[in-house]
Amino acid sequence: MSGVHDIGGSPSGPIDRSQHEVEDWERLADAINGALGGKGLQTTDQHRRAIESLPDYKDLGYYERWTAATEKLLVEKGILTQAEIDEKAGELERRWSGS
Amino acid sequence: MSDGHPHEEVPQERSPYAARIRAMEDLLVGKGVLTEAEIQDRIEYMESRTPANGAKLVARAWTDPAFKERLLSNAKAAARELGLDPTHEAEFIAVENKPEVHNLIVCTLCSCYPRAVLGRPPDWYKSFEYRSRAVREPRAVMREFGFEPEENVEVAVFDSTADVRYMVLPMRPERTEGMDEEELAALVTRDALVGVSVPRFEDAAAN
Amino acid sequence: MTAFTRGDRVRVRPAGKPGHVRTPDYLKGRSGWISSVLGHFPNPEDLAYGLSGIPARTLYRVGFRQPDIWTGYEGPAGDRLYADVYEHWLEPEGER
Repeated sequence: MSGVHDIGGSPSGPIDRSQHEVEDWERLADAINGALGGKGLQTTDQHRRAIESLPDYKDLGYYERWTAATEKLLVEKGILTQAEIDEKAGELERRWSGS
Repeated sequence: MSDGHPHEEVPQERSPYAARIRAMEDLLVGKGVLTEAEIQDRIEYMESRTPANGAKLVARAWTDPAFKERLLSNAKAAARELGLDPTHEAEFIAVENKPEVHNLIVCTLCSCYPRAVLGRPPDWYKSFEYRSRAVREPRAVMREFGFEPEENVEVAVFDSTADVRYMVLPMRPERTEGMDEEELAALVTRDALVGVSVPRFEDAAAN
Repeated sequence: MTAFTRGDRVRVRPAGKPGHVRTPDYLKGRSGWISSVLGHFPNPEDLAYGLSGIPARTLYRVGFRQPDIWTGYEGPAGDRLYADVYEHWLEPEGER
Protein backbone atom coordinates (compact mmCIF):
# COMPACT_ATOMS: atom_id res chain seq x y z
CA MET A 1 0.00 0.00 0.00
CA SER A 2 1.31 3.38 -0.87
CA GLY A 3 -0.49 4.99 2.02
CA VAL A 4 -3.10 4.61 4.72
CA HIS A 5 -5.49 6.74 2.66
CA ASP A 6 -5.22 4.57 -0.46
CA ILE A 7 -8.25 2.44 0.32
CA GLY A 8 -10.01 1.87 -3.01
CA GLY A 9 -11.07 -1.78 -3.06
CA SER A 10 -10.33 -2.49 0.58
CA PRO A 11 -12.89 -4.65 2.36
CA SER A 12 -15.34 -2.53 4.28
CA GLY A 13 -18.76 -2.55 5.88
CA PRO A 14 -22.16 -0.98 5.31
CA ILE A 15 -22.30 2.72 4.60
CA ASP A 16 -23.66 4.94 7.34
CA ARG A 17 -26.01 7.23 5.49
CA SER A 18 -26.72 9.58 8.38
CA GLN A 19 -25.66 13.21 8.12
CA HIS A 20 -24.37 15.08 11.15
CA GLU A 21 -25.02 18.76 11.61
CA VAL A 22 -21.87 20.63 10.63
CA GLU A 23 -20.39 22.20 13.76
CA ASP A 24 -18.99 25.72 13.91
CA TRP A 25 -15.44 24.49 14.41
CA GLU A 26 -15.75 22.33 11.28
CA ARG A 27 -16.93 25.33 9.26
CA LEU A 28 -13.95 27.16 10.66
CA ALA A 29 -11.56 24.36 9.66
CA ASP A 30 -12.97 24.56 6.13
CA ALA A 31 -12.69 28.35 6.09
CA ILE A 32 -9.14 28.58 7.47
CA ASN A 33 -8.04 25.98 4.94
CA GLY A 34 -9.63 27.95 2.13
CA ALA A 35 -8.36 31.31 3.37
CA LEU A 36 -4.79 30.03 3.66
CA GLY A 37 -5.12 28.61 0.16
CA GLY A 38 -6.47 31.87 -1.16
CA LYS A 39 -3.36 33.65 0.10
CA GLY A 40 -1.02 31.07 -1.40
CA LEU A 41 0.14 29.96 2.07
CA GLN A 42 -1.00 26.39 1.58
CA THR A 43 -2.11 24.32 -1.40
CA THR A 44 -4.61 21.48 -1.80
CA ASP A 45 -1.79 19.07 -2.61
CA GLN A 46 0.23 20.07 0.46
CA HIS A 47 -2.85 19.67 2.61
CA ARG A 48 -3.60 16.24 1.19
CA ARG A 49 -0.01 15.15 1.76
CA ALA A 50 -0.20 16.35 5.35
CA ILE A 51 -3.47 14.46 5.91
CA GLU A 52 -2.01 11.27 4.44
CA SER A 53 0.97 11.47 6.78
CA LEU A 54 -1.09 11.58 9.98
CA PRO A 55 -0.22 8.58 12.14
CA ASP A 56 -3.78 8.42 13.51
CA TYR A 57 -5.45 8.90 10.12
CA LYS A 58 -7.86 6.00 10.63
CA ASP A 59 -8.94 7.14 14.08
CA LEU A 60 -9.72 10.75 13.30
CA GLY A 61 -12.90 12.21 11.89
CA TYR A 62 -12.91 14.06 8.59
CA TYR A 63 -12.50 17.60 9.87
CA GLU A 64 -10.18 16.38 12.62
CA ARG A 65 -7.84 15.20 9.86
CA TRP A 66 -8.20 18.55 8.12
CA THR A 67 -7.41 20.44 11.30
CA ALA A 68 -4.44 18.25 12.19
CA ALA A 69 -3.06 18.65 8.65
CA THR A 70 -3.46 22.43 8.69
CA GLU A 71 -1.66 22.55 12.02
CA LYS A 72 1.14 20.40 10.66
CA LEU A 73 1.59 22.69 7.65
CA LEU A 74 1.50 25.90 9.66
CA VAL A 75 4.26 24.61 11.93
CA GLU A 76 6.22 23.13 9.02
CA LYS A 77 6.15 26.48 7.25
CA GLY A 78 7.09 28.38 10.38
CA ILE A 79 3.91 30.45 10.31
CA LEU A 80 3.02 29.33 13.83
CA THR A 81 4.91 27.32 16.41
CA GLN A 82 3.70 24.07 17.96
CA ALA A 83 4.18 25.55 21.40
CA GLU A 84 1.94 28.53 20.83
CA ILE A 85 -0.81 26.41 19.28
CA ASP A 86 -0.65 23.95 22.20
CA GLU A 87 -0.73 26.78 24.70
CA LYS A 88 -3.64 28.61 23.09
CA ALA A 89 -5.64 25.41 22.57
CA GLY A 90 -5.11 24.47 26.22
CA GLU A 91 -6.24 27.93 27.29
CA LEU A 92 -9.43 27.64 25.23
CA GLU A 93 -10.22 24.17 26.56
CA ARG A 94 -9.85 25.44 30.12
CA ARG A 95 -12.04 28.42 29.41
CA TRP A 96 -14.72 26.26 27.81
CA SER A 97 -14.70 23.82 30.71
CA GLY A 98 -15.39 26.76 32.95
CA SER A 99 -12.24 26.36 34.97
CA MET B 1 -19.21 33.98 26.73
CA SER B 2 -16.46 36.46 27.25
CA ASP B 3 -14.74 38.47 24.61
CA GLY B 4 -17.55 38.61 22.03
CA HIS B 5 -15.63 36.32 19.76
CA PRO B 6 -17.94 35.15 17.00
CA HIS B 7 -16.82 31.55 17.16
CA GLU B 8 -17.32 30.73 20.85
CA GLU B 9 -19.41 27.66 21.20
CA VAL B 10 -21.08 25.72 23.96
CA PRO B 11 -18.91 22.74 24.85
CA GLN B 12 -20.73 19.43 24.63
CA GLU B 13 -19.29 16.27 23.17
CA ARG B 14 -16.70 18.26 21.44
CA SER B 15 -13.67 17.12 19.53
CA PRO B 16 -10.31 18.25 20.94
CA TYR B 17 -9.67 19.62 17.46
CA ALA B 18 -12.30 22.32 17.99
CA ALA B 19 -9.98 24.11 20.41
CA ARG B 20 -7.02 23.54 18.10
CA ILE B 21 -8.63 25.17 15.06
CA ARG B 22 -9.91 28.05 17.19
CA ALA B 23 -6.42 28.46 18.61
CA MET B 24 -5.00 28.58 15.09
CA GLU B 25 -7.60 31.15 14.10
CA ASP B 26 -6.77 33.36 17.11
CA LEU B 27 -3.05 33.15 16.42
CA LEU B 28 -3.29 33.67 12.65
CA VAL B 29 -5.53 36.70 13.06
CA GLY B 30 -3.40 38.04 15.91
CA LYS B 31 -0.31 37.88 13.75
CA GLY B 32 -2.05 39.41 10.74
CA VAL B 33 -1.65 36.30 8.60
CA LEU B 34 -5.41 36.21 8.03
CA THR B 35 -8.18 38.63 8.87
CA GLU B 36 -11.55 37.80 10.38
CA ALA B 37 -13.13 39.18 7.21
CA GLU B 38 -11.19 36.74 5.04
CA ILE B 39 -12.30 33.86 7.24
CA GLN B 40 -15.90 35.02 7.23
CA ASP B 41 -15.79 35.37 3.43
CA ARG B 42 -14.77 31.73 3.16
CA ILE B 43 -17.54 30.64 5.50
CA GLU B 44 -20.07 32.50 3.38
CA TYR B 45 -18.52 31.10 0.20
CA MET B 46 -19.12 27.55 1.41
CA GLU B 47 -22.61 28.28 2.75
CA SER B 48 -23.66 29.66 -0.62
CA ARG B 49 -22.68 26.49 -2.45
CA THR B 50 -25.41 23.85 -2.29
CA PRO B 51 -26.75 20.93 -4.32
CA ALA B 52 -29.53 23.24 -5.51
CA ASN B 53 -26.93 24.72 -7.87
CA GLY B 54 -26.45 21.32 -9.46
CA ALA B 55 -30.19 20.80 -9.62
CA LYS B 56 -30.51 24.09 -11.55
CA LEU B 57 -27.94 22.93 -14.09
CA VAL B 58 -29.71 19.60 -14.52
CA ALA B 59 -33.20 21.09 -14.86
CA ARG B 60 -31.96 23.53 -17.49
CA ALA B 61 -30.24 20.69 -19.37
CA TRP B 62 -33.46 18.68 -19.30
CA THR B 63 -35.48 21.49 -20.85
CA ASP B 64 -32.91 23.01 -23.22
CA PRO B 65 -30.99 20.53 -25.42
CA ALA B 66 -28.50 23.18 -26.58
CA PHE B 67 -27.69 24.02 -22.94
CA LYS B 68 -27.26 20.35 -22.22
CA GLU B 69 -24.61 20.10 -24.94
CA ARG B 70 -22.84 23.15 -23.51
CA LEU B 71 -22.98 21.62 -20.02
CA LEU B 72 -21.41 18.42 -21.30
CA SER B 73 -18.68 20.17 -23.28
CA ASN B 74 -17.79 22.96 -20.82
CA ALA B 75 -19.52 22.63 -17.47
CA LYS B 76 -17.85 25.67 -15.90
CA ALA B 77 -19.02 27.96 -18.72
CA ALA B 78 -22.53 26.49 -18.47
CA ALA B 79 -22.53 27.10 -14.71
CA ARG B 80 -21.56 30.73 -15.28
CA GLU B 81 -24.47 31.10 -17.72
CA LEU B 82 -26.80 30.34 -14.80
CA GLY B 83 -25.12 32.85 -12.54
CA LEU B 84 -23.01 30.34 -10.60
CA ASP B 85 -19.34 30.82 -9.78
CA PRO B 86 -17.55 27.52 -10.42
CA THR B 87 -14.06 29.02 -10.24
CA HIS B 88 -11.57 26.43 -9.06
CA GLU B 89 -8.18 25.20 -10.18
CA ALA B 90 -9.67 21.79 -10.96
CA GLU B 91 -11.80 21.08 -14.02
CA PHE B 92 -15.53 20.51 -13.58
CA ILE B 93 -17.11 17.86 -15.78
CA ALA B 94 -20.70 16.64 -15.99
CA VAL B 95 -21.10 13.00 -17.02
CA GLU B 96 -24.35 12.02 -18.65
CA ASN B 97 -26.51 9.12 -17.57
CA LYS B 98 -28.09 7.36 -20.53
CA PRO B 99 -30.46 4.41 -20.83
CA GLU B 100 -27.43 2.18 -21.37
CA VAL B 101 -24.99 3.82 -18.90
CA HIS B 102 -25.31 4.84 -15.26
CA ASN B 103 -22.50 6.88 -13.70
CA LEU B 104 -21.23 6.88 -10.11
CA ILE B 105 -18.69 9.33 -8.66
CA VAL B 106 -16.21 8.64 -5.88
CA CYS B 107 -12.85 9.87 -4.62
CA THR B 108 -11.09 6.85 -3.11
CA LEU B 109 -7.99 8.80 -2.03
CA CYS B 110 -9.70 11.62 -0.15
CA SER B 111 -13.06 13.30 -0.87
CA CYS B 112 -12.75 15.29 -4.09
CA TYR B 113 -16.15 16.67 -4.98
CA PRO B 114 -17.29 19.69 -7.03
CA ARG B 115 -17.47 21.90 -3.92
CA ALA B 116 -17.26 25.14 -5.88
CA VAL B 117 -20.67 24.33 -7.34
CA LEU B 118 -22.35 21.91 -4.93
CA GLY B 119 -20.80 22.83 -1.56
CA ARG B 120 -19.80 20.21 1.00
CA PRO B 121 -20.16 16.54 0.14
CA PRO B 122 -22.39 14.36 2.32
CA ASP B 123 -20.76 12.54 5.24
CA TRP B 124 -21.26 9.16 3.59
CA TYR B 125 -19.32 10.26 0.49
CA LYS B 126 -16.30 10.96 2.72
CA SER B 127 -16.60 7.69 4.65
CA PHE B 128 -14.01 4.93 4.44
CA GLU B 129 -16.83 2.52 3.56
CA TYR B 130 -17.96 4.43 0.48
CA ARG B 131 -14.44 5.26 -0.66
CA SER B 132 -13.37 1.61 -0.37
CA ARG B 133 -16.43 -0.07 -1.84
CA ALA B 134 -17.76 2.23 -4.58
CA VAL B 135 -14.97 1.23 -6.98
CA ARG B 136 -15.09 -2.50 -6.25
CA GLU B 137 -18.81 -3.14 -5.76
CA PRO B 138 -20.73 -0.14 -7.07
CA ARG B 139 -23.96 -2.09 -7.51
CA ALA B 140 -23.96 -3.32 -3.90
CA VAL B 141 -23.31 0.26 -2.76
CA MET B 142 -26.16 1.64 -4.83
CA ARG B 143 -28.42 -1.11 -3.53
CA GLU B 144 -27.83 0.25 -0.01
CA PHE B 145 -29.22 3.53 -1.28
CA GLY B 146 -32.25 1.75 -2.69
CA PHE B 147 -31.22 1.96 -6.32
CA GLU B 148 -30.47 -0.91 -8.65
CA PRO B 149 -29.77 -0.43 -12.36
CA GLU B 150 -30.58 -3.31 -14.68
CA GLU B 151 -27.88 -5.88 -15.46
CA ASN B 152 -27.71 -4.69 -19.06
CA VAL B 153 -27.06 -1.09 -18.00
CA GLU B 154 -23.35 -0.34 -17.79
CA VAL B 155 -22.33 1.06 -14.41
CA ALA B 156 -19.42 3.46 -14.94
CA VAL B 157 -17.53 4.51 -11.81
CA PHE B 158 -15.41 7.68 -11.93
CA ASP B 159 -12.62 7.82 -9.35
CA SER B 160 -11.72 11.52 -9.02
CA THR B 161 -8.03 10.92 -8.58
CA ALA B 162 -6.68 14.15 -10.03
CA ASP B 163 -7.60 17.61 -11.26
CA VAL B 164 -11.17 16.93 -12.34
CA ARG B 165 -14.36 17.13 -10.23
CA TYR B 166 -17.33 15.20 -11.54
CA MET B 167 -21.09 15.63 -11.31
CA VAL B 168 -23.66 13.25 -12.75
CA LEU B 169 -26.23 14.59 -15.20
CA PRO B 170 -29.12 12.20 -14.46
CA MET B 171 -31.77 11.29 -17.01
CA ARG B 172 -35.03 13.16 -16.84
CA PRO B 173 -37.54 10.88 -15.13
CA GLU B 174 -40.71 9.74 -16.83
CA ARG B 175 -44.08 11.43 -16.25
CA THR B 176 -42.48 14.85 -15.81
CA GLU B 177 -43.61 16.35 -19.13
CA GLY B 178 -45.87 18.88 -17.45
CA MET B 179 -43.26 20.19 -15.00
CA ASP B 180 -41.51 23.51 -15.27
CA GLU B 181 -37.80 24.03 -14.60
CA GLU B 182 -38.30 24.84 -10.92
CA GLU B 183 -40.39 21.72 -10.34
CA LEU B 184 -37.85 19.62 -12.22
CA ALA B 185 -34.97 21.01 -10.17
CA ALA B 186 -36.82 20.01 -6.99
CA LEU B 187 -36.59 16.37 -8.11
CA VAL B 188 -32.80 16.45 -8.38
CA THR B 189 -31.20 15.41 -5.11
CA ARG B 190 -27.60 15.67 -3.98
CA ASP B 191 -27.43 11.88 -4.03
CA ALA B 192 -28.54 11.75 -7.68
CA LEU B 193 -25.72 14.16 -8.61
CA VAL B 194 -23.23 11.65 -7.14
CA GLY B 195 -25.03 8.76 -8.79
CA VAL B 196 -26.15 6.59 -5.85
CA SER B 197 -29.75 7.19 -6.87
CA VAL B 198 -31.79 8.72 -9.66
CA PRO B 199 -34.45 11.45 -9.64
CA ARG B 200 -37.98 10.13 -9.66
CA PHE B 201 -41.34 11.69 -10.43
CA GLU B 202 -42.55 10.36 -7.05
CA ASP B 203 -40.08 12.56 -5.18
CA ALA B 204 -42.14 15.64 -6.06
CA ALA B 205 -44.89 14.52 -3.70
CA ALA B 206 -42.46 14.64 -0.76
CA ASN B 207 -43.15 18.33 -0.16
CA MET C 1 3.14 16.99 -26.59
CA THR C 2 1.28 13.94 -25.35
CA ALA C 3 2.43 10.35 -25.39
CA PHE C 4 -1.02 8.80 -25.80
CA THR C 5 -4.20 9.49 -27.70
CA ARG C 6 -7.79 8.38 -27.29
CA GLY C 7 -8.22 4.66 -27.72
CA ASP C 8 -4.61 3.73 -26.98
CA ARG C 9 -4.24 0.64 -24.81
CA VAL C 10 -2.22 1.44 -21.71
CA ARG C 11 -1.10 -0.16 -18.48
CA VAL C 12 -0.74 1.59 -15.14
CA ARG C 13 2.87 1.16 -14.03
CA PRO C 14 3.08 -1.41 -11.25
CA ALA C 15 5.48 0.78 -9.33
CA GLY C 16 5.76 2.01 -5.80
CA LYS C 17 6.79 5.54 -5.04
CA PRO C 18 7.33 7.13 -1.66
CA GLY C 19 5.44 10.27 -0.79
CA HIS C 20 2.28 11.77 -2.16
CA VAL C 21 0.91 9.90 -5.16
CA ARG C 22 -2.47 10.18 -6.86
CA THR C 23 -2.39 6.82 -8.66
CA PRO C 24 -4.28 4.37 -6.45
CA ASP C 25 -2.80 0.98 -5.62
CA TYR C 26 -5.83 -0.88 -6.93
CA LEU C 27 -4.96 0.24 -10.48
CA LYS C 28 -1.27 -0.63 -10.43
CA GLY C 29 -0.47 -3.10 -13.16
CA ARG C 30 -3.99 -2.92 -14.63
CA SER C 31 -4.59 -2.40 -18.34
CA GLY C 32 -7.18 -0.22 -19.96
CA TRP C 33 -7.55 2.42 -22.65
CA ILE C 34 -7.24 6.16 -22.98
CA SER C 35 -10.77 7.50 -22.73
CA SER C 36 -9.91 11.19 -22.82
CA VAL C 37 -6.93 13.53 -22.86
CA LEU C 38 -7.81 15.90 -20.03
CA GLY C 39 -5.08 18.49 -20.35
CA HIS C 40 -1.82 19.51 -18.69
CA PHE C 41 -1.47 20.05 -14.98
CA PRO C 42 1.44 20.61 -12.62
CA ASN C 43 2.56 17.37 -11.00
CA PRO C 44 0.79 16.98 -7.63
CA GLU C 45 3.55 14.68 -6.39
CA ASP C 46 5.81 17.74 -6.39
CA LEU C 47 3.19 20.34 -5.46
CA ALA C 48 2.58 18.38 -2.29
CA TYR C 49 6.05 19.37 -1.08
CA GLY C 50 5.91 22.99 -2.16
CA LEU C 51 7.73 22.42 -5.44
CA SER C 52 6.44 24.00 -8.63
CA GLY C 53 5.19 20.80 -10.26
CA ILE C 54 6.55 22.11 -13.56
CA PRO C 55 6.95 20.83 -16.23
CA ALA C 56 3.24 20.10 -16.30
CA ARG C 57 2.16 16.52 -16.93
CA THR C 58 -0.50 15.32 -19.31
CA LEU C 59 -3.52 13.95 -17.48
CA TYR C 60 -5.60 11.19 -19.05
CA ARG C 61 -8.92 9.65 -18.19
CA VAL C 62 -8.24 5.93 -18.43
CA GLY C 63 -11.06 3.42 -18.82
CA PHE C 64 -10.97 -0.12 -17.44
CA ARG C 65 -13.26 -3.13 -17.59
CA GLN C 66 -14.19 -3.83 -13.98
CA PRO C 67 -13.45 -7.59 -14.33
CA ASP C 68 -9.93 -6.59 -15.44
CA ILE C 69 -9.37 -4.74 -12.16
CA TRP C 70 -11.02 -7.04 -9.62
CA THR C 71 -10.77 -10.80 -9.42
CA GLY C 72 -14.29 -12.11 -9.04
CA TYR C 73 -15.96 -8.79 -9.82
CA GLU C 74 -19.57 -9.22 -8.73
CA GLY C 75 -21.27 -7.46 -11.57
CA PRO C 76 -21.76 -7.63 -15.31
CA ALA C 77 -18.64 -7.73 -17.48
CA GLY C 78 -19.90 -4.57 -19.17
CA ASP C 79 -19.26 -2.43 -16.07
CA ARG C 80 -16.48 0.13 -16.33
CA LEU C 81 -14.23 2.23 -14.12
CA TYR C 82 -12.58 5.49 -15.09
CA ALA C 83 -9.68 7.12 -13.25
CA ASP C 84 -7.63 10.20 -14.01
CA VAL C 85 -3.97 9.20 -14.32
CA TYR C 86 -0.87 11.27 -15.08
CA GLU C 87 1.22 10.33 -18.10
CA HIS C 88 4.28 9.26 -16.12
CA TRP C 89 2.21 6.50 -14.53
CA LEU C 90 1.22 4.98 -17.87
CA GLU C 91 3.04 2.76 -20.32
CA PRO C 92 1.84 1.18 -23.56
CA GLU C 93 0.18 -2.14 -22.87
CA GLY C 94 2.42 -4.96 -24.00
CA GLU C 95 5.60 -3.14 -23.05
CA ARG C 96 7.77 -4.99 -20.48
